Amino acid sequence: MNAIAFTEVTKRYGDVLAVDGIDLEIPAGATVALLGPNGAGKSTSINMLLGLLRPTSGEIRVFGEPPDRAVAAGDVGAMLQEGELIPELTVAETVDFVRRLYPRPLPMEEILRVADLTDIAGRRADRLSGGQTQRVRFALAIAGGPRLLLLDEPTAAMDVESRRTFWDNMRAYAARGRTILFATHYLEEADENADRVVVIARGRVVADGSAAEIKASVASQAVSFLLGEQPVAGLDALPGTTGVELQGGRVTLRTTDLDATVAALYRKTTLDIRDLQLHGADLEDAFLALTKET
Amino acid sequence: MRHYIKVELLRMLRNKRYVIFVVAFPVGFYLLYANLWGAEADQTTGLRGSVLLMVSMAAYGALAAAMMSTAVPWSQERHSGWLRQLQITPLPGRAIIATKLVSSLLLVLPSLLLVGLAAVLTQHVTLSPLRWVELILAMWAGTIPFAALGLAIGSLLPPDTAQPVAMIGMFGLALLGGLWFPESIMPAAMRSIAHLTPSYDYASIGWRIAAGQAPHAADAAGILVWGVALVALALVAYRRATART
Ligand SMILES: Nc1ncnc2c1ncn2[C@@H]1O[C@H](COP(=O)(O)OP(=O)(O)OP(=O)(O)O)[C@@H](O)[C@H]1O
Ligand SMILES: [Mg+2]
Repeated sequence: MNAIAFTEVTKRYGDVLAVDGIDLEIPAGATVALLGPNGAGKSTSINMLLGLLRPTSGEIRVFGEPPDRAVAAGDVGAMLQEGELIPELTVAETVDFVRRLYPRPLPMEEILRVADLTDIAGRRADRLSGGQTQRVRFALAIAGGPRLLLLDEPTAAMDVESRRTFWDNMRAYAARGRTILFATHYLEEADENADRVVVIARGRVVADGSAAEIKASVASQAVSFLLGEQPVAGLDALPGTTGVELQGGRVTLRTTDLDATVAALYRKTTLDIRDLQLHGADLEDAFLALTKET
Repeated sequence: MRHYIKVELLRMLRNKRYVIFVVAFPVGFYLLYANLWGAEADQTTGLRGSVLLMVSMAAYGALAAAMMSTAVPWSQERHSGWLRQLQITPLPGRAIIATKLVSSLLLVLPSLLLVGLAAVLTQHVTLSPLRWVELILAMWAGTIPFAALGLAIGSLLPPDTAQPVAMIGMFGLALLGGLWFPESIMPAAMRSIAHLTPSYDYASIGWRIAAGQAPHAADAAGILVWGVALVALALVAYRRATART
């Protein structure tokens, strides 16, 4: 079953079209990154999934039901992009209050352990650091043991160490067959923590697949070598090649399939190839290529 | 929902502003005023000063509690994102406002009871048990319009405006209701405005009961009309504040 289904969803704020026709299905059990630059429509999409915002057109289903119903049934937990806690309550009081609102909550000790809060459980919310507050908000998201967990830029305000621990904890939570969708601008986060990356820009899905597939789809891999006086003709016909650049005797072939291009270079041409260099794509290049204004 | 009420009470009892304005002020002023004027008798009601002031200060404390525990905290919750945090849990939307109202009514009790206790202990005020029960129940139920007003302010205004508006509303209502000075020393124009306020009706009901008389029908009707109107306003404002767009 699909945990999440968007059908031709749009969302308009006045004259800003924040979400511009998203179709997306996420099967139960997947961990998916929603990757996009500022203003891409990530938070808008997540808030619509929670029933906090209504789509202008199109339809959203969560486990086959309208978002409000899934939320009321306790199937969804979320960490919104922003949100403060009640200053006068302690961490443990806050977490316990929220977990009791759900029909099938996780045990208190488990929540505190998974969110790494055991040591500060007795501290008041107004005495927490930014990163600690984020951890409490994560605890509130998992407190009800939801089947679907939505995280909107969860590691903002965390240092490197807390980030690593956070993602370890998130993966432990995901390991029990739960579905997770997280929004991020951090490319490595998407690559390292999701089995699927949905790239959105200007309210549209511009790429969808594994991190490796996304890298491949944008032809930012390249092979270059010294061509000298030899002819350049025919190189653009090699498998995978999408562009040829010549500069001072060195030729650079842009390719979507580095292996095939290099193999063909040796097998199908008689060129004398010197000083061969391979340039792999990183997700950063892929991301910039996909999301740049066109 | 019981747990939600408990959490709401806990946080307000830890809130310094609530404790100072709502618990310390009315009891402190009662002790001060009753020492000065406790023995004098009031001409209009015939009440001894210590009893009259007990009702006035309890009324002030209750009114303050009803507004302080609603307007600003609720406005802050809407703006800090805590409301959204609640909206993404299975808690139904109407449970939020119901809890706010019930918690606010419970938070009125400390000032009512502590002022009464101070009156009994320091001024040896004695009323029959039945009269005590009537007085406390009437003064308790009579805070519903003020709690509703506080909730409406919290729903309609952002925290930085809700704060002064709630303060002005609270002191204004207390002054006009004759809780700080007797209405007999008010200028005529002010007195006619005062007669229209729910706090005036509220306090006079309390004084009449303390004097062993039935409340005036006009006061009872006045507070009822205000109650219905303000509860309706609070509900409309709440719906507007929590609408999903
Ligand atoms: N309440 C609103 N009123 C008007 N425009 C809005 C509103 N909320 C968002 N927008 C606009 O909608 C677009 C998408 O915003 P959204 O918050 O979904 O982006 P995002 O991908 O979450 O960005 P970020 O990475 O900065 O969090 C932006 O152009 C934003 O300015
Ligand atoms: Mg966002």
